Amino acid sequence: MEANIAHAERALAVFFGIVVFLVAAVALRNDWKSQGIENQVFKIMLGLLALGAILGILAGLGVLIGKGVA
Amino acid sequence: MAAISVTQRGVVGAHIEEPDQLYAETRELRIQGFLLFMVSDLVLFSSFIFAYLYLRNSGQGWPAGGPKLDIALAAINSIVLFGSGATMHFALENWKHGNFAKFANWIIMTIILGAGFLSGQVMEYMHIGASWSSGIFGASFYTLTGMHGMHVFAGIIYLTVLLLQAAQGKYTYTKYTGLTLGTLYWHFVDVIWVVLFSIFYLL
Repeated sequence: MEANIAHAERALAVFFGIVVFLVAAVALRNDWKSQGIENQVFKIMLGLLALGAILGILAGLGVLIGKGVA
Repeated sequence: MAAISVTQRGVVGAHIEEPDQLYAETRELRIQGFLLFMVSDLVLFSSFIFAYLYLRNSGQGWPAGGPKLDIALAAINSIVLFGSGATMHFALENWKHGNFAKFANWIIMTIILGAGFLSGQVMEYMHIGASWSSGIFGASFYTLTGMHGMHVFAGIIYLTVLLLQAAQGKYTYTKYTGLTLGTLYWHFVDVIWVVLFSIFYLL
């Protein structure tokens, strides 16, 4: 039962991780030429958000798992 | 002179429309001030993160016979929080395009996802099998994730206030610095979790 839940959580993490990554990447592309200090910070944040989504996907796939993690 | 007059009237609480020139002059300053706050918050998190990494690398085994973190729950919980960053981005974009209904829908979705993340954290706390006082790992884990959770909780209140203010007409479609700052804060909370997720679950 717990294994099934874990599989479902991993599958959802991978699926929605891809969605979030695509949204962040498209938003970053659209904002790329924006000027102003807040937009520069937004670009950094969106880039890191996309990175976070990739990490979430890799964790969901079991590619990246740290010590002490089940 | 006009700016002084506006400030004096603003102090006594009268709601007035700011002149464009005053708004333009102070907008950058407000944003820079908020960014300084975020930098100070970043220093706070960095201090705890480096302390954790130092302690972790000082130990022989990590975590020494300690608890097992649930990577599957953490992965979906992280994506929930990162997804809230995307919905907040949509909220601000819809405000820029003058669509209040969609803005409200997206910001409500952001609040729901933020609350969902906090629920996931509570579930993790219930199953981790460690306490604040059970060792260095427990102390580090609860301090960092708890501090981040408090930021998420504060962010949920912040976004709720922004939504209410927007509904009351506090912001216009050309003057919305408060909404921009709220979005920056929420992205900041997301990005901090990218680091915490990496050091606790992926390293």
